[in-house]
Amino acid sequence: MLSYILKRLAIAIPTLLVLIVISFLLMHSAPGGPFTSERELPPQVLANLNAKYGLDDPLWKQIGSYMWGIVSDFDFGPSFVYKDRSVNEIIAQGFPITLTYGLLSFAVAVIVGVSLGVAAAVRHNSLLDYVAVGVSIGAQVLPNFVMAPILVLVFTLWLGWLPGGGWQGPEYWIMPVIALSTSFMASIARITRSSMLEVLTSNHIRTARAKGLPERRVILRHALKPAMLPVISYLGPAFVAMITGSVVVDIYFSTGGIGKAFVDSALNRDYAVMMGVTILVGALTIFFNLVVDILYGWIDPKIRY
Amino acid sequence: MVMTSEQRVEAGEIVGKGRSPWADARRRFFRNKAALMGLVILGFVVAFALFGGYFAQWSNEELDYNVMGQIVELGGPSIESGHYFGTDDLGRDLFARTIQGTQISLAVGLVGALIACIVGTLYGAVAGYAGGRTDGIMMRLVDIFMAVPYMFVLILLLVMYGRSITILFAGIGLISWMEMARIVRGQTLTIKGREFVEAARATGVSAPVIILRHIVPNLLGVIAVYATLLVPLMILTESFISFLGLGVQEPLTSLGALISEGAGTIAYGTTWQLGFPLLFFCLTLFGLFFVGDGLRDALDPKDR
Amino acid sequence: MKFRTTLASSALALSLAFQAQAADVPEGVTLAEDQNYTFWLLDAIKSMDPQINTDVEGSDVLRNLFEGLYNEDGNGELVPGVALEHEVSEDGKTYTFKLRDDAKWSNGDPVTANDFVYSWRRLADPATASEYAWYMELMQVENAPEIIAGSTSPEELGIRAVDDHTLEVKITTPLPYFPQMLVHGSTFPVLQSAVEEHGDDWTDAGTLVGNGAYKLVEHQLGERVVMEKSDTYWDAENVVMEKLTALTINDVNQALTRYLAGELDRVDIPAGQYPRLKEEYPEQAVSTPYNCSYIYMLNVGEKGPEALKDARVRKALAYTIDRDIIVDRILQGGQKPSYNWTHWAIADFERPELDWADNMDQAQRVEKAKELMAEAGYGPDKPLDLTLQYNTSEDHKKIAIAASQMLKQINVNVTLDNYEWKIHTDRMQNQDYDMARYAWCGDYNEASTYLDLLTSYSGHNNGEFYNDAYDKLMKDSKTAEDPQPLYKEAESILAEEMPIIPIYHYANVDMIAEDIEGLPENNVNNTWYGKDLYRTAE
Repeated sequence: MLSYILKRLAIAIPTLLVLIVISFLLMHSAPGGPFTSERELPPQVLANLNAKYGLDDPLWKQIGSYMWGIVSDFDFGPSFVYKDRSVNEIIAQGFPITLTYGLLSFAVAVIVGVSLGVAAAVRHNSLLDYVAVGVSIGAQVLPNFVMAPILVLVFTLWLGWLPGGGWQGPEYWIMPVIALSTSFMASIARITRSSMLEVLTSNHIRTARAKGLPERRVILRHALKPAMLPVISYLGPAFVAMITGSVVVDIYFSTGGIGKAFVDSALNRDYAVMMGVTILVGALTIFFNLVVDILYGWIDPKIRY
Repeated sequence: MVMTSEQRVEAGEIVGKGRSPWADARRRFFRNKAALMGLVILGFVVAFALFGGYFAQWSNEELDYNVMGQIVELGGPSIESGHYFGTDDLGRDLFARTIQGTQISLAVGLVGALIACIVGTLYGAVAGYAGGRTDGIMMRLVDIFMAVPYMFVLILLLVMYGRSITILFAGIGLISWMEMARIVRGQTLTIKGREFVEAARATGVSAPVIILRHIVPNLLGVIAVYATLLVPLMILTESFISFLGLGVQEPLTSLGALISEGAGTIAYGTTWQLGFPLLFFCLTLFGLFFVGDGLRDALDPKDR
Repeated sequence: MKFRTTLASSALALSLAFQAQAADVPEGVTLAEDQNYTFWLLDAIKSMDPQINTDVEGSDVLRNLFEGLYNEDGNGELVPGVALEHEVSEDGKTYTFKLRDDAKWSNGDPVTANDFVYSWRRLADPATASEYAWYMELMQVENAPEIIAGSTSPEELGIRAVDDHTLEVKITTPLPYFPQMLVHGSTFPVLQSAVEEHGDDWTDAGTLVGNGAYKLVEHQLGERVVMEKSDTYWDAENVVMEKLTALTINDVNQALTRYLAGELDRVDIPAGQYPRLKEEYPEQAVSTPYNCSYIYMLNVGEKGPEALKDARVRKALAYTIDRDIIVDRILQGGQKPSYNWTHWAIADFERPELDWADNMDQAQRVEKAKELMAEAGYGPDKPLDLTLQYNTSEDHKKIAIAASQMLKQINVNVTLDNYEWKIHTDRMQNQDYDMARYAWCGDYNEASTYLDLLTSYSGHNNGEFYNDAYDKLMKDSKTAEDPQPLYKEAESILAEEMPIIPIYHYANVDMIAEDIEGLPENNVNNTWYGKDLYRTAE
């Protein structure tokens, strides 16, 4: 197991490097730069700006000094657009926010989704089952950029229960978490249900029942673990999807998270911020996939690393 | 004299009509009520997209000056004005635009899924069949690609190369080929060990031919299932891209773009602008999910 | 020049006499308990540094944290800021400002003339790499171009502190509107010791030192900015509003929802919603003119299409667009249709009488347009294909769609190209377009801020409209006794040549909470100050 983990971590480094280079090149090939604006800058002013941020150096030099900055100082450079802030500062402000509502959404989606899926599977073909399936599919097809304004309309304007946006305390977390977790909760419920159905008809469950074990024990102790396998492999792509979903949450709920920071940086050609967030997300994805694979191996005894 | 079918076979009258696994699957599929319903829904949506245009009284880009400026009062759905679904904020007929949006969304879904399937299948089959170090390297590459936040790359591509439909289709399709590649590779590893593949190899059939002629056809079941599950994903991805303002260019539109516009105006008394596109969006996805589930149940009988 | 000096100083003296001192609470008005003002920002504030900031939202915040030489009142007139008054020399090239002696920084240090010298040099200094350095050039301050180019040191800038409270500025050519330019945030002073001590972090809440009526308490990028009343401000006892909060909300419909839920005191009204909101909330929905013009710029340069080189085609395009529909049915916000370039509400400006605007109705304009197109050789059998590009926005899209439909009447087929902002701008600056949506906002309240743009030497002339007569008029206007007639002639040339298609002049369309008073009602730049605001008790 340990050598497997180390091997995976070792691959992570070249992966990140490839990621950096690809993003860097893509970014620099887009027309327009950070200082392209309506008021066309006089050439001298533009030259001063490019000099200050090193944008007039050849590309290989820029990428070299960028990487050197990271390796020596963990410094991801200055933002070209939010000139008072460095990338480190922007990420330091935004990342904890995204992490908070991201992890919460994840937890809610998994807990509620699995419970719903198990309940539906156990009471297969009952009313609960049909309702659960219907609601899950419904929740999965409703895009979160439709749900978000509706949530604000209902909870802020009509009911006045929750603040419409911002990030000043736990009551600000509620709507972002609802908006983000709903479609994942639905997917997880469906996957759990179908996987659970399959497991419940398998041989070793029949044996457990034949042994006379109480149903609850059968389900929780014997069926749940193997049924979770497809759910766990779903978590990997779900994580990435949640990050993109966070962009919508950031826009509608003004949380100040990094999802929006990324989209803005692409649109503003804020090279450093874009690279910083890409690396961060890339590293997280690699890490998360590793965790998922380990979990998978722990549950499925046939897989040995 | 009346003979049983077995006797008739023996008598050489009926050539042995075995039941192929495809026929089995087809039967199972059509017995699945949910899947059938999904098929009906999809059929309706496709018919709407293909033939709805004959009923439209307005084109999808004309502005109705009578309604413009007073959308809340005059822009609602009505038979007499010819705007069956109402109009958007500019006075353009929503019925025509919804039809056109459905066409684009379906096209994106299908083409995107197709691209993901083709690329993923070929890549995965080659990797699985080659085995050994080639397989290892190819799958490591896939791991690396999977770490790239694809949405971000897509946004970058769209920002850089402007808003062409080709980039949109290709980009959305390329987001999902990796998962397909992994699955296909896994299946290939299993199929590779079967006797008919060994036989083919023994008779000297070249590797590409084996892959294309023997392995891929046996993957079709798995591919079909995942493809139908991919189509909704593509459509959802496209709707997100439209929300960001990077989707198809005017005067073309997609369901995602229509929904995004409509979501902004719900508070202003023009709920039909959200309602109708959202209805068709949900119907399409519902249909695809049910059909996808049905296909999976049909082709993988141990799923109940 | 003596006449003008007297005129200038008497004008200023007059306005001083009627100056509004911070919050002008009329007799008998009860103030509310809660003196907090919450307003809307579309996007995160890019910089809190006056010499680095480039956008309007940033200026709105900075105007409360810092104070420049002069401020503007609710009617757009100049009132004293840090400077009490000024004198102009005979030749109009030397300004001497008398600064007040009770202005203080938020850390207690007195505000001196040196602070202005430092900040102005900083604006031009290449080391600062400010995107607004050209503003110093625009003000015609001595040596500004050379400093920006790096060939002279910033110490040579034509500004010096005669003593702690007297500031002298030398400009290269006399500018009648020079004082108006001093309201702009780029000219605000900064405290050298604070900047040098904290470097790039000096604008963080807690270390930012300003001389405005408020101090920066909190700044969460992309979420909110919080400012609280500063006790060191020279007029602090007349400042009523205690706290200013700016909330960033990226979606304007969302912002409106939150305004209606009571979370904001002021918000922009999304296009098309003004009539309905005006009916439902007559006291809160407000439309005031705003110093920006919306046009379709035509590429008449080398890289532009052949057809657009013909003035008849350009005029035909302009005549066919029905501005009333755009303004009355799409925008519906009290904007005015425009037939000229300079905003109608600019001080002292009057546009010349134009045939196509004043003597024809829309049907006649379309007729004339068809004639012109026929003359130029286009018609139903020879249609014209053009592209119209615009940057991503619901409103621009709607107007572009409407325009393209309208132009079908004269057999012009318009292909719409929507580009994301940076690409759109990049293409315009490289002349890669036929027609492009463009808007220009005036930097100060005088016609030249618009008209200068279309000179061949402006550096912003993306359409490459080169006209010698126009250039000469604008050059002469800088030294004329009364530039207004020259401006009128310049506008006439624009109407003849039609290098741009004017669409409408902006208006600020807002929802403002009923109990908030003190926001400017006649200020075309919408320059508001927190210190003028107060909330009444209802």
